[in-house]
Amino acid sequence: MDKMIFLFSEGLKNLWRHKLTAFSAIFSTFLTLSVTGSLIIATENTSKVIEYLRDKYKIEVFFKQNISDDRVVALAKEFNSIRGIRSTTVITKSDAEKIFKSQFGENILDMVGYNPLPASCVLNIVKNQPDAVKIRPIIDRLRTYPEVDEVNYQGRLINRIESYYQKFVKGMTGLLILVLLISVLIISNTVRLTIFAKEELIKALQLIGATRAFVKAPFVIEGVFHGLIGAILASILLIGGLSLGEGILQSVTGLKLQYDTLFLISVLCGTGILISLVGSSRAISKYLK
Amino acid sequence: MIRLDNVSYTYEKGGGVSNVNLSLGDDEYAFLIGPTGSGKTTLLRLIYLDLFPQVGKVEIDKFKSDKIKRRKIPYLRRKIGMVFQDYHLLDDRNLFENIALPLHVIGVEKDEIVERVNDSIEEVGLEGKENHFPMELSGGEQQRACVARALVKDPDIILADEPTGNLDPVTSFELIKLLEEVNREGAAILMASHNYNLIKGRGHRIIEIQNGTVRQS
Ligand SMILES: Nc1ncnc2c1ncn2[C@@H]1O[C@H](COP(=O)(O)OP(=O)(O)OP(=O)(O)O)[C@@H](O)[C@H]1O
Ligand SMILES: [Mg+2]
Repeated sequence: MDKMIFLFSEGLKNLWRHKLTAFSAIFSTFLTLSVTGSLIIATENTSKVIEYLRDKYKIEVFFKQNISDDRVVALAKEFNSIRGIRSTTVITKSDAEKIFKSQFGENILDMVGYNPLPASCVLNIVKNQPDAVKIRPIIDRLRTYPEVDEVNYQGRLINRIESYYQKFVKGMTGLLILVLLISVLIISNTVRLTIFAKEELIKALQLIGATRAFVKAPFVIEGVFHGLIGAILASILLIGGLSLGEGILQSVTGLKLQYDTLFLISVLCGTGILISLVGSSRAISKYLK
Repeated sequence: MIRLDNVSYTYEKGGGVSNVNLSLGDDEYAFLIGPTGSGKTTLLRLIYLDLFPQVGKVEIDKFKSDKIKRRKIPYLRRKIGMVFQDYHLLDDRNLFENIALPLHVIGVEKDEIVERVNDSIEEVGLEGKENHFPMELSGGEQQRACVARALVKDPDIILADEPTGNLDPVTSFELIKLLEEVNREGAAILMASHNYNLIKGRGHRIIEIQNGTVRQS
Protein backbone atom coordinates (compact mmCIF):
# COMPACT_ATOMS: atom_id res chain seq x y z
CA MET A 1 0.00 0.00 0.00
CA ASP A 2 2.71 2.48 1.01
CA LYS A 3 4.53 1.40 -2.12
CA MET A 4 1.55 2.41 -4.29
CA ILE A 5 1.40 5.80 -2.59
CA PHE A 6 5.12 6.24 -3.16
CA LEU A 7 4.88 5.38 -6.87
CA PHE A 8 1.85 7.63 -7.27
CA SER A 9 3.54 10.59 -5.65
CA GLU A 10 6.66 9.92 -7.72
CA GLY A 11 4.49 10.21 -10.82
CA LEU A 12 3.03 13.49 -9.62
CA LYS A 13 6.43 14.88 -8.70
CA ASN A 14 7.77 13.89 -12.12
CA LEU A 15 5.05 16.03 -13.61
CA TRP A 16 6.56 19.02 -11.85
CA ARG A 17 10.19 18.00 -12.34
CA HIS A 18 9.71 17.67 -16.11
CA LYS A 19 7.75 20.84 -16.70
CA LEU A 20 8.83 21.19 -20.31
CA THR A 21 8.01 17.62 -21.28
CA ALA A 22 4.79 17.88 -19.34
CA PHE A 23 3.91 20.99 -21.27
CA SER A 24 4.56 19.47 -24.68
CA ALA A 25 2.86 16.17 -23.86
CA ILE A 26 -0.16 17.98 -22.46
CA PHE A 27 -0.22 20.34 -25.41
CA SER A 28 -0.13 17.55 -27.97
CA THR A 29 -2.87 15.62 -26.16
CA PHE A 30 -4.83 18.84 -25.97
CA LEU A 31 -4.51 19.41 -29.73
CA THR A 32 -5.35 15.81 -30.57
CA LEU A 33 -8.36 15.79 -28.34
CA SER A 34 -9.63 19.12 -29.63
CA VAL A 35 -9.51 17.70 -33.16
CA THR A 36 -11.06 14.44 -31.95
CA GLY A 37 -13.85 16.28 -30.18
CA SER A 38 -14.58 18.48 -33.22
CA LEU A 39 -14.70 15.40 -35.43
CA ILE A 40 -17.08 13.68 -33.04
CA ILE A 41 -19.39 16.66 -32.95
CA ALA A 42 -19.24 17.07 -36.72
CA THR A 43 -20.03 13.40 -37.28
CA GLU A 44 -22.80 13.41 -34.73
CA ASN A 45 -24.43 16.42 -36.33
CA THR A 46 -24.06 15.10 -39.84
CA SER A 47 -25.82 11.97 -38.74
CA LYS A 48 -28.64 14.17 -37.46
CA VAL A 49 -28.88 15.77 -40.91
CA ILE A 50 -28.90 12.33 -42.51
CA GLU A 51 -31.68 11.24 -40.20
CA TYR A 52 -33.67 14.28 -41.20
CA LEU A 53 -33.17 13.54 -44.90
CA ARG A 54 -34.03 9.88 -44.47
CA ASP A 55 -37.18 10.98 -42.75
CA LYS A 56 -38.14 12.65 -46.00
CA TYR A 57 -37.41 9.57 -48.13
CA LYS A 58 -40.60 8.03 -49.34
CA ILE A 59 -41.47 5.10 -51.51
CA GLU A 60 -44.89 5.26 -53.10
CA VAL A 61 -46.51 2.00 -54.16
CA PHE A 62 -49.53 2.14 -56.48
CA PHE A 63 -51.78 -0.88 -56.64
CA LYS A 64 -53.72 -2.18 -59.62
CA GLN A 65 -57.33 -1.00 -60.02
CA ASN A 66 -59.11 -4.16 -58.97
CA ILE A 67 -57.42 -4.72 -55.61
CA SER A 68 -59.75 -4.53 -52.61
CA ASP A 69 -59.10 -2.22 -49.63
CA ASP A 70 -58.72 -5.20 -47.32
CA ARG A 71 -56.05 -6.68 -49.54
CA VAL A 72 -54.28 -3.31 -49.69
CA VAL A 73 -54.20 -3.06 -45.91
CA ALA A 74 -52.90 -6.62 -45.63
CA LEU A 75 -50.18 -5.95 -48.18
CA ALA A 76 -49.14 -2.73 -46.38
CA LYS A 77 -48.70 -4.77 -43.25
CA GLU A 78 -46.45 -7.17 -45.11
CA PHE A 79 -44.38 -4.32 -46.54
CA ASN A 80 -43.86 -3.01 -43.02
CA SER A 81 -41.88 -6.10 -42.14
CA ILE A 82 -39.37 -5.59 -44.96
CA ARG A 83 -35.93 -4.67 -43.65
CA GLY A 84 -35.29 -0.94 -43.87
CA ILE A 85 -38.97 0.08 -43.73
CA ARG A 86 -39.96 2.11 -40.70
CA SER A 87 -43.67 2.70 -41.29
CA THR A 88 -46.37 2.48 -43.93
CA THR A 89 -49.42 4.59 -44.61
CA VAL A 90 -52.28 3.21 -46.67
CA ILE A 91 -54.23 5.45 -49.06
CA THR A 92 -57.33 3.66 -50.28
CA LYS A 93 -59.23 4.57 -53.43
CA SER A 94 -61.70 6.66 -51.44
CA ASP A 95 -58.84 8.38 -49.52
CA ALA A 96 -57.30 9.26 -52.87
CA GLU A 97 -60.60 10.68 -54.02
CA LYS A 98 -60.76 12.92 -50.95
CA ILE A 99 -57.19 14.07 -51.43
CA PHE A 100 -57.96 14.90 -55.04
CA LYS A 101 -60.96 16.90 -53.97
CA SER A 102 -59.09 18.85 -51.32
CA GLN A 103 -56.26 19.62 -53.74
CA PHE A 104 -58.21 20.46 -56.89
CA GLY A 105 -61.55 21.48 -55.40
CA GLU A 106 -63.41 19.20 -57.84
CA ASN A 107 -65.01 15.86 -57.43
CA ILE A 108 -63.34 13.32 -59.71
CA LEU A 109 -66.48 11.17 -59.88
CA ASP A 110 -68.33 14.12 -61.43
CA MET A 111 -65.51 14.67 -63.91
CA VAL A 112 -64.96 11.16 -65.33
CA GLY A 113 -67.91 9.21 -63.98
CA TYR A 114 -65.87 6.69 -62.00
CA ASN A 115 -62.87 6.73 -59.61
CA PRO A 116 -59.70 6.24 -61.72
CA LEU A 117 -57.37 6.91 -58.78
CA PRO A 118 -55.45 3.81 -57.65
CA ALA A 119 -55.11 2.71 -54.05
CA SER A 120 -51.58 3.34 -52.84
CA CYS A 121 -49.26 2.99 -49.92
CA VAL A 122 -46.47 5.30 -48.70
CA LEU A 123 -43.42 3.64 -47.14
CA ASN A 124 -41.07 5.53 -44.82
CA ILE A 125 -37.49 4.41 -44.41
CA VAL A 126 -35.59 3.73 -41.18
CA LYS A 127 -33.76 6.82 -39.92
CA ASN A 128 -30.98 6.07 -37.56
CA GLN A 129 -28.72 3.42 -38.90
CA PRO A 130 -25.08 4.27 -39.51
CA ASP A 131 -24.57 2.25 -42.71
CA ALA A 132 -26.20 3.18 -45.96
CA VAL A 133 -29.88 2.42 -46.44
CA LYS A 134 -30.15 0.19 -49.52
CA ILE A 135 -33.20 1.21 -51.52
CA ARG A 136 -32.70 -1.04 -54.54
CA PRO A 137 -33.49 -4.37 -52.85
CA ILE A 138 -36.61 -2.91 -51.28
CA ILE A 139 -37.89 -1.68 -54.65
CA ASP A 140 -37.13 -5.04 -56.31
CA ARG A 141 -38.94 -6.84 -53.55
CA LEU A 142 -42.03 -4.60 -53.88
CA ARG A 143 -42.12 -5.16 -57.63
CA THR A 144 -42.44 -8.92 -57.19
CA TYR A 145 -46.01 -8.50 -55.85
CA PRO A 146 -48.53 -9.04 -58.68
CA GLU A 147 -50.92 -6.56 -57.04
CA VAL A 148 -48.38 -3.76 -57.39
CA ASP A 149 -48.74 -1.61 -60.47
CA GLU A 150 -46.03 0.98 -60.04
CA VAL A 151 -43.34 1.97 -57.53
CA ASN A 152 -42.19 5.59 -57.29
CA TYR A 153 -39.14 6.70 -55.37
CA GLN A 154 -36.41 9.34 -55.42
CA GLY A 155 -33.81 6.72 -56.23
CA ARG A 156 -30.98 8.80 -57.64
CA LEU A 157 -31.14 11.43 -54.93
CA ILE A 158 -31.29 8.90 -52.12
CA ASN A 159 -28.38 6.92 -53.44
CA ARG A 160 -26.27 9.99 -53.89
CA ILE A 161 -26.91 11.28 -50.38
CA GLU A 162 -26.22 7.89 -48.89
CA SER A 163 -22.96 7.48 -50.74
CA TYR A 164 -21.77 10.95 -49.72
CA TYR A 165 -22.64 10.20 -46.15
CA GLN A 166 -20.72 6.92 -46.23
CA LYS A 167 -17.66 8.63 -47.65
CA PHE A 168 -17.91 11.27 -44.98
CA VAL A 169 -18.08 8.72 -42.17
CA LYS A 170 -15.14 6.74 -43.60
CA GLY A 171 -13.08 9.88 -44.07
CA MET A 172 -13.74 11.02 -40.52
CA THR A 173 -12.84 7.64 -39.07
CA GLY A 174 -9.62 7.55 -41.06
CA LEU A 175 -8.71 11.06 -40.00
CA LEU A 176 -9.41 10.25 -36.38
CA ILE A 177 -7.19 7.16 -36.40
CA LEU A 178 -4.43 9.14 -38.08
CA VAL A 179 -4.62 11.96 -35.52
CA LEU A 180 -4.55 9.47 -32.63
CA LEU A 181 -1.57 7.59 -34.06
CA ILE A 182 0.38 10.78 -34.61
CA SER A 183 -0.25 11.91 -31.06
CA VAL A 184 0.83 8.57 -29.61
CA LEU A 185 4.09 8.97 -31.54
CA ILE A 186 4.56 12.55 -30.40
CA ILE A 187 3.87 11.62 -26.79
CA SER A 188 6.14 8.62 -26.78
CA ASN A 189 8.97 10.67 -28.27
CA THR A 190 8.43 13.44 -25.75
CA VAL A 191 8.46 10.97 -22.90
CA ARG A 192 11.63 9.43 -24.36
CA LEU A 193 13.32 12.75 -23.75
CA THR A 194 12.39 12.67 -20.06
CA ILE A 195 13.63 9.13 -19.87
CA PHE A 196 17.01 10.07 -21.29
CA ALA A 197 17.16 12.88 -18.78
CA LYS A 198 16.34 10.28 -16.12
CA GLU A 199 18.97 7.75 -17.16
CA GLU A 200 20.72 8.27 -13.83
CA LEU A 201 17.57 7.56 -11.86
CA ILE A 202 16.70 4.49 -13.88
CA LYS A 203 20.22 3.09 -13.58
CA ALA A 204 20.30 3.75 -9.84
CA LEU A 205 16.88 2.18 -9.32
CA GLN A 206 17.91 -0.90 -11.26
CA LEU A 207 21.13 -1.25 -9.30
CA ILE A 208 19.21 -0.98 -6.03
CA GLY A 209 16.96 -3.85 -7.11
CA ALA A 210 13.86 -2.18 -8.53
CA THR A 211 11.73 -4.34 -10.78
CA ARG A 212 10.76 -3.26 -14.28
CA ALA A 213 7.26 -2.40 -13.14
CA PHE A 214 8.61 -0.25 -10.32
CA VAL A 215 10.82 1.72 -12.70
CA LYS A 216 8.00 2.05 -15.19
CA ALA A 217 5.13 3.02 -12.92
CA PRO A 218 5.98 6.68 -12.19
CA PHE A 219 6.48 7.42 -15.89
CA VAL A 220 3.18 5.81 -16.78
CA ILE A 221 1.34 7.58 -13.96
CA GLU A 222 2.90 10.83 -15.12
CA GLY A 223 1.59 10.05 -18.61
CA VAL A 224 -1.92 9.49 -17.32
CA PHE A 225 -1.84 12.93 -15.74
CA HIS A 226 -0.67 14.47 -19.02
CA GLY A 227 -3.60 12.82 -20.77
CA LEU A 228 -6.12 13.88 -18.17
CA ILE A 229 -4.99 17.49 -18.09
CA GLY A 230 -4.92 17.64 -21.89
CA ALA A 231 -8.44 16.21 -21.98
CA ILE A 232 -9.78 18.70 -19.46
CA LEU A 233 -8.26 21.60 -21.39
CA ALA A 234 -9.68 20.30 -24.67
CA SER A 235 -13.11 19.87 -23.07
CA ILE A 236 -13.04 23.44 -21.81
CA LEU A 237 -12.02 24.73 -25.23
CA LEU A 238 -14.63 22.73 -27.13
CA ILE A 239 -17.54 23.32 -24.83
CA GLY A 240 -16.67 26.99 -24.42
CA GLY A 241 -16.21 27.37 -28.18
CA LEU A 242 -19.43 25.52 -28.92
CA SER A 243 -21.58 27.54 -26.58
CA LEU A 244 -20.11 30.71 -28.10
CA GLY A 245 -20.40 29.51 -31.70
CA GLU A 246 -23.82 27.98 -31.22
CA GLY A 247 -25.60 31.30 -30.79
CA ILE A 248 -23.93 32.77 -33.85
CA LEU A 249 -24.60 29.67 -35.97
CA GLN A 250 -28.23 29.59 -34.96
CA SER A 251 -28.87 33.24 -35.66
CA VAL A 252 -27.20 33.00 -39.07
CA THR A 253 -28.39 29.63 -40.38
CA GLY A 254 -31.17 28.62 -38.02
CA LEU A 255 -29.41 25.28 -37.46
CA LYS A 256 -28.98 24.00 -33.92
CA LEU A 257 -25.88 22.00 -32.98
CA GLN A 258 -26.49 18.76 -31.17
CA TYR A 259 -24.06 17.31 -28.66
CA ASP A 260 -23.99 15.57 -25.32
CA THR A 261 -21.62 17.41 -22.97
CA LEU A 262 -21.11 14.51 -20.58
CA PHE A 263 -20.51 12.06 -23.41
CA LEU A 264 -18.02 14.44 -24.99
CA ILE A 265 -16.06 14.94 -21.77
CA SER A 266 -15.91 11.25 -20.98
CA VAL A 267 -14.81 10.32 -24.49
CA LEU A 268 -12.11 13.00 -24.41
CA CYS A 269 -10.82 11.99 -20.96
CA GLY A 270 -10.88 8.31 -21.90
CA THR A 271 -9.06 8.92 -25.16
CA GLY A 272 -6.59 11.27 -23.51
CA ILE A 273 -5.65 8.76 -20.84
CA LEU A 274 -5.47 5.96 -23.39
CA ILE A 275 -3.15 7.72 -25.84
CA SER A 276 -0.81 8.98 -23.13
CA LEU A 277 -0.76 5.56 -21.48
CA VAL A 278 0.12 3.89 -24.76
CA GLY A 279 2.60 6.64 -25.62
CA SER A 280 4.46 6.59 -22.33
CA SER A 281 4.53 2.82 -21.86
CA ARG A 282 5.81 2.51 -25.40
CA ALA A 283 8.63 4.92 -24.64
CA ILE A 284 9.69 3.37 -21.35
CA SER A 285 9.37 -0.21 -22.58
CA LYS A 286 11.55 0.59 -25.54
CA TYR A 287 14.13 2.03 -23.20
CA LEU A 288 14.10 -0.85 -20.70
CA LYS A 289 13.74 -3.55 -23.39
CA MET B 1 27.88 -17.41 -0.31
CA ILE B 2 29.60 -15.95 -3.36
CA ARG B 3 31.43 -18.16 -5.86
CA LEU B 4 33.21 -17.21 -9.04
CA ASP B 5 34.15 -20.13 -11.24
CA ASN B 6 36.83 -19.39 -13.82
CA VAL B 7 35.22 -16.05 -14.62
CA SER B 8 36.46 -13.86 -17.47
CA TYR B 9 35.17 -10.58 -18.76
CA THR B 10 36.88 -8.35 -21.30
CA TYR B 11 35.55 -4.93 -22.31
CA GLU B 12 35.28 -4.19 -26.02
CA LYS B 13 38.26 -1.84 -25.85
CA GLY B 14 40.31 -4.15 -23.66
CA GLY B 15 40.70 -4.41 -19.89
CA GLY B 16 38.64 -6.51 -17.50
CA VAL B 17 39.30 -9.67 -15.52
CA SER B 18 40.34 -13.16 -16.52
CA ASN B 19 40.10 -16.66 -15.04
CA VAL B 20 38.93 -15.54 -11.63
CA ASN B 21 38.26 -18.28 -9.09
CA LEU B 22 37.01 -16.98 -5.80
CA SER B 23 34.63 -17.85 -3.03
CA LEU B 24 33.44 -15.86 -0.07
CA GLY B 25 31.61 -17.33 2.94
CA ASP B 26 28.43 -15.95 4.48
CA ASP B 27 30.19 -14.31 7.42
CA GLU B 28 33.48 -13.33 5.83
CA TYR B 29 35.00 -9.84 5.70
CA ALA B 30 37.48 -9.66 2.83
CA PHE B 31 39.43 -6.92 1.14
CA LEU B 32 40.01 -6.76 -2.57
CA ILE B 33 43.31 -5.02 -3.02
CA GLY B 34 44.87 -3.90 -6.26
CA PRO B 35 46.23 -0.88 -8.08
CA THR B 36 44.02 1.41 -10.08
CA GLY B 37 42.78 -0.19 -13.28
CA SER B 38 43.42 -3.71 -12.01
CA GLY B 39 39.77 -4.81 -12.33
CA LYS B 40 38.27 -4.36 -8.84
CA THR B 41 35.14 -2.55 -10.00
CA THR B 42 34.74 -4.99 -12.86
CA LEU B 43 34.86 -7.90 -10.45
CA LEU B 44 32.22 -6.34 -8.19
CA ARG B 45 29.97 -5.52 -11.14
CA LEU B 46 30.17 -9.17 -12.13
CA ILE B 47 28.94 -10.17 -8.68
CA TYR B 48 25.83 -7.96 -8.71
CA LEU B 49 25.29 -8.96 -12.32
CA ASP B 50 25.67 -5.51 -13.79
CA LEU B 51 28.03 -7.41 -16.08
CA PHE B 52 27.61 -11.03 -17.11
CA PRO B 53 30.70 -13.24 -17.32
CA GLN B 54 31.74 -14.08 -20.86
CA VAL B 55 33.40 -17.23 -19.61
CA GLY B 56 32.68 -19.08 -16.38
CA LYS B 57 29.93 -18.65 -13.84
CA VAL B 58 29.03 -16.41 -10.91
CA GLU B 59 26.94 -17.83 -8.10
CA ILE B 60 25.37 -15.84 -5.25
CA ASP B 61 23.32 -18.07 -2.96
CA LYS B 62 20.68 -19.61 -5.20
CA PHE B 63 21.24 -17.15 -8.06
CA LYS B 64 23.44 -18.40 -10.90
CA SER B 65 24.65 -16.10 -13.67
CA ASP B 66 24.10 -18.71 -16.37
CA LYS B 67 20.56 -19.62 -15.31
CA ILE B 68 19.04 -16.43 -13.89
CA LYS B 69 16.13 -14.80 -15.73
CA ARG B 70 16.35 -11.07 -16.36
CA ARG B 71 13.35 -10.28 -14.23
CA LYS B 72 14.90 -12.11 -11.25
CA ILE B 73 17.99 -9.89 -11.15
CA PRO B 74 16.25 -7.24 -8.99
CA TYR B 75 15.72 -9.87 -6.30
CA LEU B 76 19.42 -10.74 -6.28
CA ARG B 77 20.30 -7.06 -5.92
CA ARG B 78 17.95 -6.64 -2.98
CA LYS B 79 20.13 -9.04 -1.00
CA ILE B 80 23.22 -7.00 -1.77
CA GLY B 81 24.09 -3.60 -0.36
CA MET B 82 26.28 -1.79 -2.84
CA VAL B 83 28.57 1.14 -2.22
CA PHE B 84 29.40 2.40 -5.67
CA GLN B 85 32.69 4.05 -6.49
CA ASP B 86 30.72 6.74 -8.33
CA TYR B 87 27.96 6.90 -5.68
CA HIS B 88 24.89 6.86 -7.96
CA LEU B 89 23.10 9.27 -5.64
CA LEU B 90 20.12 11.06 -7.18
CA ASP B 91 20.64 14.79 -7.57
CA ASP B 92 16.99 15.71 -7.29
CA ARG B 93 16.41 14.08 -3.90
CA ASN B 94 17.78 14.97 -0.52
CA LEU B 95 19.90 12.69 1.63
CA PHE B 96 16.92 11.20 3.45
CA GLU B 97 15.06 10.39 0.25
CA ASN B 98 18.14 8.91 -1.37
CA ILE B 99 18.69 6.54 1.51
CA ALA B 100 14.98 5.66 1.69
CA LEU B 101 14.86 4.63 -1.96
CA PRO B 102 15.96 0.98 -1.54
CA LEU B 103 13.25 0.54 1.09
CA HIS B 104 10.57 1.95 -1.20
CA VAL B 105 11.78 -0.50 -3.84
CA ILE B 106 11.31 -3.42 -1.46
CA GLY B 107 7.96 -2.05 -0.29
CA VAL B 108 8.66 -1.30 3.36
CA GLU B 109 5.96 0.52 5.40
CA LYS B 110 6.36 4.25 5.77
CA ASP B 111 6.90 4.38 9.54
CA GLU B 112 9.53 1.69 9.37
CA ILE B 113 11.27 3.54 6.55
CA VAL B 114 11.61 6.67 8.68
CA GLU B 115 13.03 4.67 11.54
CA ARG B 116 15.52 2.66 9.52
CA VAL B 117 16.72 5.60 7.44
CA ASN B 118 17.36 7.65 10.56
CA ASP B 119 19.31 4.75 12.08
CA SER B 120 21.50 4.43 8.99
CA ILE B 121 22.14 8.15 8.84
CA GLU B 122 23.25 8.04 12.43
CA GLU B 123 25.53 5.06 11.84
CA VAL B 124 27.51 6.91 9.19
CA GLY B 125 27.48 10.16 11.19
CA LEU B 126 25.40 12.32 8.90
CA GLU B 127 22.78 13.47 11.41
CA GLY B 128 21.46 16.93 10.61
CA LYS B 129 22.18 16.62 6.89
CA GLU B 130 18.88 14.87 6.03
CA ASN B 131 17.60 17.76 3.95
CA HIS B 132 20.80 18.30 1.99
CA PHE B 133 20.81 17.44 -1.69
CA PRO B 134 23.89 15.54 -2.94
CA MET B 135 25.28 18.76 -4.41
CA GLU B 136 25.10 20.24 -0.93
CA LEU B 137 27.24 17.48 0.60
CA SER B 138 31.03 17.18 0.57
CA GLY B 139 32.65 14.32 -1.35
CA GLY B 140 33.18 12.35 1.83
CA GLU B 141 29.62 12.97 2.98
CA GLN B 142 28.29 11.72 -0.34
CA GLN B 143 30.41 8.63 0.05
CA ARG B 144 29.03 8.00 3.52
CA ALA B 145 25.50 8.61 2.19
CA CYS B 146 26.18 5.84 -0.27
CA VAL B 147 27.30 3.56 2.58
CA ALA B 148 24.13 4.41 4.52
CA ARG B 149 22.02 3.54 1.49
CA ALA B 150 23.75 0.16 1.28
CA LEU B 151 23.27 -0.57 4.99
CA VAL B 152 19.66 0.56 5.26
CA LYS B 153 18.17 -2.58 3.77
CA ASP B 154 20.03 -4.96 6.11
CA PRO B 155 21.65 -6.82 3.23
CA ASP B 156 23.16 -10.29 3.40
CA ILE B 157 26.16 -9.12 1.42
CA ILE B 158 27.88 -5.76 1.21
CA LEU B 159 29.99 -4.92 -1.81
CA ALA B 160 31.88 -1.71 -1.18
CA ASP B 161 33.89 -0.22 -4.02
CA GLU B 162 36.57 2.07 -2.64
CA PRO B 163 34.28 3.40 0.10
CA THR B 164 37.09 5.34 1.76
CA GLY B 165 38.41 7.01 -1.39
CA ASN B 166 37.19 10.42 -0.35
CA LEU B 167 37.56 10.14 3.44
CA ASP B 168 40.28 11.39 5.76
CA PRO B 169 42.26 8.67 7.59
CA VAL B 170 40.22 8.95 10.81
CA THR B 171 36.83 8.70 9.07
CA SER B 172 38.18 5.91 6.85
CA PHE B 173 39.15 3.97 9.89
CA GLU B 174 35.72 4.52 11.46
CA LEU B 175 34.08 3.21 8.32
CA ILE B 176 36.20 0.04 8.42
CA LYS B 177 35.11 -0.48 12.01
CA LEU B 178 31.45 0.19 11.15
CA LEU B 179 31.67 -2.50 8.50
CA GLU B 180 33.26 -4.84 11.03
CA GLU B 181 30.22 -4.36 13.24
CA VAL B 182 27.85 -4.99 10.34
CA ASN B 183 29.90 -8.12 9.61
CA ARG B 184 29.50 -9.30 13.20
CA GLU B 185 25.74 -8.88 12.78
CA GLY B 186 25.91 -11.43 9.98
CA ALA B 187 26.62 -9.76 6.64
CA ALA B 188 29.39 -10.89 4.31
CA ILE B 189 31.58 -8.02 3.21
CA LEU B 190 33.79 -7.56 0.20
CA MET B 191 35.53 -4.22 0.09
CA ALA B 192 37.71 -3.03 -2.77
CA SER B 193 40.54 -0.65 -2.02
CA HIS B 194 43.98 0.34 -3.23
CA ASN B 195 44.99 1.61 0.19
CA TYR B 196 46.87 -1.30 1.73
CA ASN B 197 47.98 0.68 4.78
CA LEU B 198 44.41 1.23 5.81
CA ILE B 199 43.52 -2.42 6.06
CA LYS B 200 46.66 -4.23 6.99
CA GLY B 201 46.90 -5.86 10.40
CA ARG B 202 43.19 -6.17 11.11
CA GLY B 203 43.12 -9.89 10.53
CA HIS B 204 40.87 -9.87 7.50
CA ARG B 205 41.32 -11.95 4.43
CA ILE B 206 43.05 -10.12 1.60
CA ILE B 207 42.42 -10.88 -2.05
CA GLU B 208 44.93 -9.36 -4.42
CA ILE B 209 44.10 -8.44 -7.96
CA GLN B 210 46.55 -7.31 -10.58
CA ASN B 211 45.96 -6.79 -14.28
CA GLY B 212 42.65 -8.56 -14.03
CA THR B 213 44.10 -11.65 -12.39
CA VAL B 214 43.38 -12.67 -8.80
CA ARG B 215 46.01 -13.90 -6.36
CA GLN B 216 44.73 -14.95 -2.96
CA SER B 217 46.41 -14.92 0.39
N1 LIG C 1 32.95 0.54 -19.07
C1 LIG C 1 34.19 0.24 -19.50
N2 LIG C 1 34.44 0.14 -20.81
C2 LIG C 1 35.67 -0.18 -21.25
N3 LIG C 1 36.71 -0.44 -20.46
C3 LIG C 1 36.52 -0.35 -19.13
C4 LIG C 1 35.26 -0.01 -18.59
N4 LIG C 1 35.35 -0.02 -17.25
C5 LIG C 1 36.64 -0.34 -16.96
N5 LIG C 1 37.34 -0.55 -18.09
C6 LIG C 1 38.75 -0.96 -18.15
O1 LIG C 1 38.87 -2.18 -17.44
C7 LIG C 1 40.02 -2.14 -16.60
C8 LIG C 1 39.62 -2.41 -15.16
O2 LIG C 1 38.81 -1.37 -14.72
P1 LIG C 1 38.20 -1.30 -13.27
O3 LIG C 1 37.25 -0.17 -13.23
O4 LIG C 1 37.65 -2.64 -12.94
O5 LIG C 1 39.47 -0.98 -12.38
P2 LIG C 1 39.58 -0.71 -10.83
O6 LIG C 1 40.44 -1.74 -10.26
O7 LIG C 1 38.23 -0.57 -10.26
O8 LIG C 1 40.31 0.69 -10.80
P3 LIG C 1 40.19 1.89 -9.75
O9 LIG C 1 40.95 1.51 -8.54
O10 LIG C 1 40.78 3.05 -10.45
O11 LIG C 1 38.73 2.06 -9.49
C9 LIG C 1 40.65 -0.77 -16.79
O12 LIG C 1 41.78 -0.96 -17.62
C10 LIG C 1 39.63 0.05 -17.48
O13 LIG C 1 40.21 0.89 -18.44
MG1 LIG D 1 37.12 0.92 -9.47
